[in-house]
Amino acid sequence: MDSKTEKHSWETFLRRPGDLREGVEMPMALRDLTSGKKKYQMRHVVAAVSRKPEEMASMDILHVRTVVGVLLSETWGVKIVRDLPTELPGRPYHDFYEALRKASSTGS
Amino acid sequence: MFNDTRDFIEALRSSGDLHEIEKEVHWDLELGAVSRLACEKDGPALWFKRITDYPSDITAFVNPMATWRRVAVTFGLPADSSLKEIYAEYEKREGRLIPPVTAKAGPCKDVIKLGKDIDIYDLPAPMLHDGDGGRYLGTWDMAVSRDPETNWVNWGMYRFMVYDSRHLTGFPRPTSHLGKVFQDYYVSRNKPMPMALVIGADPISHFTASATYHIGGEEAALAGGLRGAPVELVRCETNDVLVPSNSEIVVECEVLPNCVGLEGPYGEYPGYRTGEMGNGILCRVTAITHRKNPILAVDATGYRDDSSTITALTGAIAIKRRLERHGLPVLDVNVPREGAVHTAVIGVKYGGKQVAKEILETLTSRRALLSKIFLVDPDVDVYDLGKAFHAFSTKCHPAHGIHVIHYEGRANTLTPCYSQGERALQKGATALYDCTWPGEWSREWEVPVKATFDTIFPDSMKQKILSEWKSYGFKD
Repeated sequence: MDSKTEKHSWETFLRRPGDLREGVEMPMALRDLTSGKKKYQMRHVVAAVSRKPEEMASMDILHVRTVVGVLLSETWGVKIVRDLPTELPGRPYHDFYEALRKASSTGS
Repeated sequence: MFNDTRDFIEALRSSGDLHEIEKEVHWDLELGAVSRLACEKDGPALWFKRITDYPSDITAFVNPMATWRRVAVTFGLPADSSLKEIYAEYEKREGRLIPPVTAKAGPCKDVIKLGKDIDIYDLPAPMLHDGDGGRYLGTWDMAVSRDPETNWVNWGMYRFMVYDSRHLTGFPRPTSHLGKVFQDYYVSRNKPMPMALVIGADPISHFTASATYHIGGEEAALAGGLRGAPVELVRCETNDVLVPSNSEIVVECEVLPNCVGLEGPYGEYPGYRTGEMGNGILCRVTAITHRKNPILAVDATGYRDDSSTITALTGAIAIKRRLERHGLPVLDVNVPREGAVHTAVIGVKYGGKQVAKEILETLTSRRALLSKIFLVDPDVDVYDLGKAFHAFSTKCHPAHGIHVIHYEGRANTLTPCYSQGERALQKGATALYDCTWPGEWSREWEVPVKATFDTIFPDSMKQKILSEWKSYGFKD
């Protein structure tokens, strides 16, 4: 594929089925699958995801892994709306996803 | 005595316990897959000389002590020493403490990266397993931290994952010594905790970092005692933490008291990747220092990894000491390699219901790493798993011989059989299988007689048979 048209690939981990929802902007932790020394770099974002082919055509590719690291066969489309801080406010040893939700709702 | 990783590598080369790989290997799964298979084959330690995307002056040394041969070499014993001899050597040395000494400089300062020069991706942290949460820089490490209230310095071997160029996430369990000091002191005051992640120090220092050691115990002094000479320490560049001066790599950090990052999941020492994810800590890197031609030390974590030897060994002796302190009739303890630090075989002078319950309570009161305990009588060699299994199969009463204690807030969340719900609550249980004869049974009338050569013949007959063995036509 031409590098100009090659889509960016990301991966995300979910705690449970149904955590990824279409039609809403949601906070996510994405890791960058671009080859090279910095592969797997993490990024906190608010993003929209879709399984609709017509929407996926204009989106980046999102691979999904479960809480035990199993890669699901279905890929999604993802569009990053805005970034959230890397140093995400939250209480150590407490749920990261809850902190992510709070940061997105407070506009951090 | 080894002063650094390089001395140790030389010793392993001499004993035939090192394999050097000149072929280029990719940090993204290839290094991890080669190392995992080598580990499962009980193969040698590995030294990868060329890593994709990285210059040839940085190499990776993997699975330092994943066999008993390499643990024996670490202690200066013959590589073919028996498990019993290795346990005995550690037990002999662990009571002696030699405090560390400090130096003004050391090889770990050959290269110093501060400020904008910090980039964790300059280190070839491997993606060890397909589906891990990230690349793990800290596997064969020691996280050094200090309790400001008591000045207690803790060394611990915990997992740390690369997050971005300047951040790591980690999972020293909340019940770990680091986790406890961090929460009790730093989080409660909203202060960042200074920490150093040391990679590739001398082997005994890593051994002690992975050891089960009591709160307030200084692993640096334990390492000195085990080595027979003090560990030389040098101060970090951006905090007051002291680290072994001969370390290959030191990553200086602040553990943030009010921020989080996604950590895990990770294929861990129990031999599984459980759903332990998103409940760790976030570290901001403040400096990276390393030796010239640094060697990244790695534990290819999983089934029968380095913890299956060293954490098991130190854990076994710690259990023995704890039971002795509580006045319980312990003789020997073995944490078998195949049990992934979840199972212990405990030999006692005498057993019975009361002893079983007291042992169960003593070993689960603060944090409960073990989920299965086999209690055996003195006639069972705790290091002989076949004999222990025979005792379990024949002496453990299926209705009255299994004691279970339930707890919450202190379970080992990496235990694979726990549900995600139990993991979240640190909820679990430990079962003790009492394979001892009931104390109230009469030795003359009720205790069954063991039908083995050692136990069911008179001494005179045994001596005759042994002395005349070859006369029956046997060679050995």
